[in-house]
Amino acid sequence: MSEPRSGQPGDMEDFVREVRAFLDASAARLPNEQAIAWGEGPDRITYFGDDSAEESARAVDAARAWQKSRYAAGFGWITGPPEFGGRGLTPVHDLVYDGIEAEYDTPDTGVLSLIGLGMIGPTILAHGTDESKAAYLPAMYAGDVIACQLFSEPSAGSDLANVSTRAVRDGDEWVINGQKVWTSVAQHAQVGLALCRTNPDQPKHKGITALLVDMDAPGVDVRPLRQMSGGAEFNEVFLTDVRVPDSRRLGEVDGGWRVALTTLMNERASVGSEGAGPAARAISPAFLTALLAEHGKLDDSSTRRKLAELAADQLATSYLNRQALDHLIAGGQPGPEASVSKLMYSQNITRATHFAAEVVGPKLVADTGEWGAYAWNELLLSTPALRILGGTEDIMKNILGERVLGLPKEPSVDATTAYRDLRTSGSGA
Amino acid sequence: MSGTSLEEREDLRRSLRDLLGRLADEPARQAALDSDLGHDPVLWSRLAELGALSLAIPEDFGGAGYGAVEQSVVLEELGRALAPSPFLGTVVLAGTALVAAGGEAAADTLGGIAEGTTLAALALVEHDAQWRTSGFATTAEAVGDGWRLTGAKTLVIDGSVADALVVAAETAAGPSLFLVTGPDGIRRTPLTTLDLTRRMAAITFDSATATLLGEAGAAAKVLDRVLDAAMVALAAEQVGAARACLDASVCYAKDRVQFGRQIGSFQAVKHRCADMFTRVQLATAAAQEAAHAADGEPGRAPAEVAAAVAHLVCSESAMVTATENIHVHGGIGFTWEHPAHLYFRRAKSSQLLLGGPGVGAERLLTRLGS
Repeated sequence: MSEPRSGQPGDMEDFVREVRAFLDASAARLPNEQAIAWGEGPDRITYFGDDSAEESARAVDAARAWQKSRYAAGFGWITGPPEFGGRGLTPVHDLVYDGIEAEYDTPDTGVLSLIGLGMIGPTILAHGTDESKAAYLPAMYAGDVIACQLFSEPSAGSDLANVSTRAVRDGDEWVINGQKVWTSVAQHAQVGLALCRTNPDQPKHKGITALLVDMDAPGVDVRPLRQMSGGAEFNEVFLTDVRVPDSRRLGEVDGGWRVALTTLMNERASVGSEGAGPAARAISPAFLTALLAEHGKLDDSSTRRKLAELAADQLATSYLNRQALDHLIAGGQPGPEASVSKLMYSQNITRATHFAAEVVGPKLVADTGEWGAYAWNELLLSTPALRILGGTEDIMKNILGERVLGLPKEPSVDATTAYRDLRTSGSGA
Repeated sequence: MSGTSLEEREDLRRSLRDLLGRLADEPARQAALDSDLGHDPVLWSRLAELGALSLAIPEDFGGAGYGAVEQSVVLEELGRALAPSPFLGTVVLAGTALVAAGGEAAADTLGGIAEGTTLAALALVEHDAQWRTSGFATTAEAVGDGWRLTGAKTLVIDGSVADALVVAAETAAGPSLFLVTGPDGIRRTPLTTLDLTRRMAAITFDSATATLLGEAGAAAKVLDRVLDAAMVALAAEQVGAARACLDASVCYAKDRVQFGRQIGSFQAVKHRCADMFTRVQLATAAAQEAAHAADGEPGRAPAEVAAAVAHLVCSESAMVTATENIHVHGGIGFTWEHPAHLYFRRAKSSQLLLGGPGVGAERLLTRLGS
């Protein structure tokens, strides 16, 4: 493994030149305007993948290889401290890098970056022991170690602090028992950050401890969870007498909620900054216009009206995102734009998909073999998830209402009652 | 090209908010609505003293030579306060048409607008109520050195109070713009309006003496520019109004107690406010993009696309927030005394003024090549 360059925080123009030199040497540029050629190319409109094990393994290999190249060139962890393989630059440099890399045809590194590098890495850096930082951070950012987030449970979804997975101290180790769910990339991961109940006599936020679990340890059982769209991108993770050394603890004993907040803050920063994601091309006004032309509906006034409304909201969302980035580059503080953008993101994709479905009509009901017709079903069946993942719409609106608009919180009992006395789903009135 | 910093624009915003807080509070607004003129002439002259009327007028025409970005600050604050004023009719609609047409007569009128001594109106719409750039039933004929204009216009914003009328009419050379100051040959009839804060008139011209603005037959291009400018200006005004509705709702949701709780603690109300906030943020982004693009700032969206996006998104945002604001206030929001209905009236009126969402939609699709 080559040593990352320990760059100096320098002038942005030099940084941009360096990024371009690296990318020009390592990847092809994407064409400026991707023309829509109806009927050409793979007949799939995907959001969540539905890849075979072999396809999935190939994609993970490609992601690791690209992350390795980035790391070797000094762009693997732009904001990280040099002693752990980072470049020591600002979040703005990171955004600038992402903006430039988007102009090039590079492998999708989401399997590494969305959870591990984007959320778990910063959490280990903020709360980990020196031993954990040295053990995981350079390996993660060099593309060798994939990390997952063992947070959600059957009884702890939006109410994440309600986790029931138990961790009991045994000498220098913890013994974990419980079940996690909706765990992305667990099937590829070498390490997972688990929130565990360590003190049920405290109110729920005060009895949680965060532990780094070796995903290859005995007692860790990862089972694919097939989602409604057909693929199995997520997992259930069963933990049975899994032993974790105390040196792999993040934060204080019973202080895991603070650790979780660090992870969630980084999640909110990453969601919404992704444009229209994997569905961007399919829901673009140009693609939808080609769809209308194909179905002879380009002159239908009510259809045109709907297309214009979709296009206006999509373009306004893109203006919002670009202005937020400009604001950060000019040295401003992040505002509520990311939450607004996330709400608009799921609305825009969902509305555009149902619009397309109406245009396609009965040929979406069954696969007639026609290009660009039944293919919409994959995206259609993914849309309900967009309002749930990364914090449900309802929770996002609570956050906007309470933290941005200053509206009062709902009166609650769960902040002061001991975890073991809280009502749980199915326990009756 | 805009020549101000964000800080300077925030200074301008503070000055305007202070002025409007003093001269356009609720009692002042009611007094203006009850008056013959329909607006407060003292407020108008203070706006002129502050330089608010001449911001976007080019220096050659006696203005400050800034752009849509600066003018948007004024419109946002006027929209927020819902201050009855002839700004849209005089400065935006007539002003943009005069600047685009050019010439000596236009320059004289623009000088008066910049100083706050001339009120102007754009008389464009005819019996079918549609905004168009050509095909007017109103006609003008060259007679001697001048022109004589005959026809009927309606929905003329500030048409009753305007000293100068900018009138679109057909000539042998095609659609043209004329300046008509009357009083001979002009009959003005005030109209009852949905939006109580924006007065309109029907105007008939019977061989009225008119001065040609710019070149004969060149109005279509000018009026297309005016329509874009109107969309950008209305968008800023709508953002101001939408934010005022959001603020009023949030404030009331914190004050109002029912079932022993502030109603803002109920998710049904909280989420309604969060949805309003989302639409306001989106509208703000769209209006800002359109203003910066209109001023030719590099790195922005194409100006003609951004103007249409802003018109659609901000019209909807203003309508949604005005509607939800009434709902959050409950029964009190439905009373005549409460200002909520004024925002509702303004929102629907502004949404339909330039032809309605259908017109904005086609304008956007045409520009996207769809």
